[in-house]
Amino acid sequence: MLRRLVFLVVIAATATPVLGAESSAKESAALAARIDQLLGERWDNAGVKPAAVAGDAEFLRRIHLDLAGTVPPLHVTREFLADRAPDKRAKLIEQLLAGRRYVAHFTNFWRSVLLPENPNGDNLGLRVSFESWLQARLSENVGFDRMVREILVTAQPRNRGEPVNFAVDGGQATTPIAFDLANEGKPENLAGSTARLFLAVKLECAQCHNHPHAEWTQEQFWEYAAFFGGGKANGKASIRIPKLNKSVSAKFPNGREPTFTQGSNPRTVLADWITTADNPYFARATVNRVWWHLFGNGLVEPVDDLTQEVDDNPLLEELAKQFAEHKFDLKYLIRAIVSSRAYQTTSAAANESADDTRLFSRMSVRALSPEQLYDSLAEVTRLPPTTAPRDFGTGLVQRAEFLSRFARQNEKATEAQTSILQALALMNGKFVEDATSLERSEALAAVAQAPFLDPASKVETLFLLALSRKPTAAESERFVRYVTKGGPSGDAPRALADVFWVLLNSGEFLFNH
Amino acid sequence: MSRPLLSRRDWLRLSAAGVLGSSVTGWLPRLAADLAADPRRRRACILLWMDGGPSQTDTFDLKPSHPNGGLFKAIPTNVAGIQISEHLPNLAKQADKLAIVRSMSTREGDHSRAALVMHTGYTPAGEISYPSIGGLLARELGRDDMVLPQFICIAPNRGVSPQAFSSGFLGPRYAPLIVGNANNLAVRPRGAFDYETALRVPDLEPARQVRPDHADSRIEMLQEMDRDFARQYPGTVSASHQSAYERAVKLMRTAAAKAFNLEEEKSALRDAYGRNLFGQSCLLARRLVEQGVPFIEINLGGVNGGSFGWDTHGGNFDAVKNLSGVLDPAWAALLSDLKERGLLDSTVVAWMGEFGRTPRINPQQGRDHFPTAWSTVLAGGGIKGGQVVGATSADGMTIKDRPVTTPDFLATLCHALGVDASKQNQSNVGRPIRIVDKAAKPIQEILA
Repeated sequence: MLRRLVFLVVIAATATPVLGAESSAKESAALAARIDQLLGERWDNAGVKPAAVAGDAEFLRRIHLDLAGTVPPLHVTREFLADRAPDKRAKLIEQLLAGRRYVAHFTNFWRSVLLPENPNGDNLGLRVSFESWLQARLSENVGFDRMVREILVTAQPRNRGEPVNFAVDGGQATTPIAFDLANEGKPENLAGSTARLFLAVKLECAQCHNHPHAEWTQEQFWEYAAFFGGGKANGKASIRIPKLNKSVSAKFPNGREPTFTQGSNPRTVLADWITTADNPYFARATVNRVWWHLFGNGLVEPVDDLTQEVDDNPLLEELAKQFAEHKFDLKYLIRAIVSSRAYQTTSAAANESADDTRLFSRMSVRALSPEQLYDSLAEVTRLPPTTAPRDFGTGLVQRAEFLSRFARQNEKATEAQTSILQALALMNGKFVEDATSLERSEALAAVAQAPFLDPASKVETLFLLALSRKPTAAESERFVRYVTKGGPSGDAPRALADVFWVLLNSGEFLFNH
Repeated sequence: MSRPLLSRRDWLRLSAAGVLGSSVTGWLPRLAADLAADPRRRRACILLWMDGGPSQTDTFDLKPSHPNGGLFKAIPTNVAGIQISEHLPNLAKQADKLAIVRSMSTREGDHSRAALVMHTGYTPAGEISYPSIGGLLARELGRDDMVLPQFICIAPNRGVSPQAFSSGFLGPRYAPLIVGNANNLAVRPRGAFDYETALRVPDLEPARQVRPDHADSRIEMLQEMDRDFARQYPGTVSASHQSAYERAVKLMRTAAAKAFNLEEEKSALRDAYGRNLFGQSCLLARRLVEQGVPFIEINLGGVNGGSFGWDTHGGNFDAVKNLSGVLDPAWAALLSDLKERGLLDSTVVAWMGEFGRTPRINPQQGRDHFPTAWSTVLAGGGIKGGQVVGATSADGMTIKDRPVTTPDFLATLCHALGVDASKQNQSNVGRPIRIVDKAAKPIQEILA
C-alpha cells in the first residue's frame, strides 16, 4: 500500500536531481560534430536528405533504452517532456551515463558480445562472476584496453584437471575467466574468438583450411593461436597444427615476431600488442561494435570482420583514432555518438532518399534485447527489478525463463523476428497477466483508482508509462471512448486494463524506434 | 519413389489463389481429413531422441555370445534372422517396419557436441549458426499458410546444447514450438511429473481473469495500433511482429490446436502408448502429423520426464530395462497407430541419440560414451523395413561392415522424406550451406 501511495505521488509530479557534467563532455561534443560533418559529406555524395530530428518523446525513449536498458520511468518522462531548457538532451545524456542503470545495461551488452550462450550449457556461477567483473570495470569506467587485457591474460591454470566452478550463492568471485572457459581454454577457440571480437578479423575459417576469399592462411591462424597455449620450442611459444604434422611459433597477425623475455606469458605479450594505441584493428573493431549497438547497423559490416572494406571509411577511422587518443574511454565514445544529430534522427518513415538506414540518414527500428524487454516490463508495471545478477531465487528463475523465451540467436536487432511463442507469452503469459491485473499490478491499480484522474488523464498516463508519449488525438478519442463505455461489458476498470494490455503488446512498446 | 504431384510452390500459389479454399480455418480441418486418403500427401518425420546416448548392445545390436553382451537376452522378431533386446517385445512384432543401422560411426563423444552434430549434421565452426534438421525439414516440407508451427519439439533437453534445438540461420520462423515443460530452469513441483499439463502449448489461452469479449476487443485494438505503427515504422521488425501476432492469434483460435488435447483420444489407446510423458508425446506426435505438422521431435530423457536417462555410466542394465519399458510400448503403438490410419507410408519415424555406449562393461555395471560403432533405426514411409544395415565385430568394439556417418544418416532421412539434401540455404555468414554436407551418401539399400 505504501508503495502504491509513493507511486501516486510520482504520477502527480516529482523533481529530478541534475548531475554535474563530466570533464570530457566538451571533447565528446567535438567528436559528435565531426560525426555529423563526415556523415553529412556522405549524405551529400549519395544525394540523401536525412530524416528530421526525432521529437523529445522519441529521443527520450530511445536514449533511455540505449543507455539505461529500460523505458524511462513515468516521472522522468513527465519532466523531460515539460522541460523547456535548450540543453535538456545533453543533461539527460549525462545523467544516464552517470546512472546505475548504465552499468547494468552495458554489463548485459558486453556479456552478450563477449560471452555467447555457451553450447555446453550455461554455468550460472561463471556468468555471474563475469557480470560482476564487468559491473566493477564499467562503474569505474576503466579504459576498454584495460578490460580486454584482463580478459586476455586471465586463464585457467592448465595443470589443474577440474574446471573452475564458482558457487552460485554468496560467491564473491569477480573475474573474466568465464571467457577463457567459454572457449574451453582451447588455443584454437581463443584464437578465433579474440580475433573476431578484439581485432574484427575472422580467422576461424582458416583453422581448418586456407579460405579461398580471405587473406588469412591456415598457418597464420595457428601462429596466432600459439599465443594461447600449445608449448614452447626454442624459447618461443609454439603450437602443433593438427593433422599437418607441423609446428609453428607465435606471430602477430601483422606478421611481426613477438619478443619473449624470460618467463613472459605469451598471452600478456599478445595483450600488449592488441591493446596498444597504434594497433588500428582494436580501436576500429570496438568503435564499430559500439556504433552497431547504438544504431542497429555497424559503420562497416559484418562487425566481426572488418578486413574487407575499411579503407574507404573516414568516419570509422576518425572514431577509432579519437577513441584511442582518449584512452579507450567508452563513455567518451558513447556520449559523442548519442549526441550526434545522426543518432537523434527520427526512425519514422521519411523521404525515400533517407530510407536506407545503413547510411544512418534515418534511425532504424530495433528489437529490444531480452534484458531490455524484461526490465522495461518490470519498470512499467512496477514489478520488482531483478537486474542485479546476484539476486538469486524465484525472481532469477522467472527472469531466466523469460529471457530464454526471448533470446535471439545471432540475429541483428534490425532484423529480429518475433516467434509465435513470444507473442503468446506476451499476450497471455503470467508476466503480462500480472502487469495488467487490477489486483496485482501496482501501476495499473494506481492509475485505475486515482481519484484525481478523469478517463482521458488515465489513458494519457498509461501511454506515458508504456510508450513515453501522449496519445494522439485519434488514439485518445478511441481509447477514452472505450474506457468510458467500459468495453464490451460496461466495466471501466477492466476496459482500462485492456488499454494497458494493448499498449504493452504493441510493436511500439516492444521495439526501440 | 513417388513425388508429390503438387510442389510446395504450387500449393502456395494455389492456396493463395483460393483454389484450395480461401480461408485457412476453412480448409485445414478438411485437409487433415483428406490427408490420409491422399497418396500425394506431404511427408512428415517423427524423431525419437534418446537423450544421453542409448546403449546399442542392450537394444538393437546384442552380443549374447560375448562377455560384452551383458545381462539381456536377444529375442527373435517377426523378421527371420533379426534379433533385438528382450525388453523390446512389442517392437519385435513389428520389425518388418524397421531398418536397423548397426554401423553408425561418428566422432563426437561429448554430449553437447555430439547432440549438436547429430541434430545439425555439421561440426560447429566459427559463427555459423547451423539449424536443427527439424527446422531444415520443416522449411522443405511445411507450408507457409499453416496455422500450426511446422517444427514441434516435445520435452527436449535444451541444456545439453541449445543450438541443437534451434532453427539457427533459418530464423525464428522455423524455430521449434516447444512443449513438454522443456525449460530446464523451471522448478518442478515435487511428486509425479505432470505430463498432461506439460504437453499443452503454454499461454495458448487468455488469462482466466480476462472475459472472452474483452479478450477479443484487446486483439482488435492491438491490430489497429500495430497497423498504425507498421505504417509509420515500416520494416522487417514491425512486419515480423505483426505476422507473429497474427499466427499466434490464429493458433489461439484454430481448431487445429485441439491436437494438443489428448483427452479426445480413447482411453485404451492412451494406455497402449503408455501413461507417461514419452508415451503421450508419441500420441501427440501422431495427432500433429494428422494436422500436417511436418517435423516433430520427442525426447526420451527419463522414465517420466527428466534428462540424460540413457547416460548409463553406472547401473546400465536396470536403467536401460526401465527406459525400454517406456520406449517399447510407445514406439510400437505409434507405428501400428500410424499404420492403421494410413499415415505410416508418408511418415518417417527415426530413432537415435547422440552416440552409443561402450560394449565393454565398466566396474559400475555401466557403459560409457561410444561414438565408434553404434545403432540407429529408421521406419515408415520411404524406408524399406525388415532389414539390418552394417555390422559390428563380435565384441562390438569396431565396425565390421558399412560404416554410416552422421551426414549419411541425415541424408537418408531426407531422401526418405523426398527432400533434396543438397539444397542450399543462405547462412548467417552469407555463405550458402547445404541441408546435408555434400560428402553424405544416403543408405540406398534401405530406401524404398
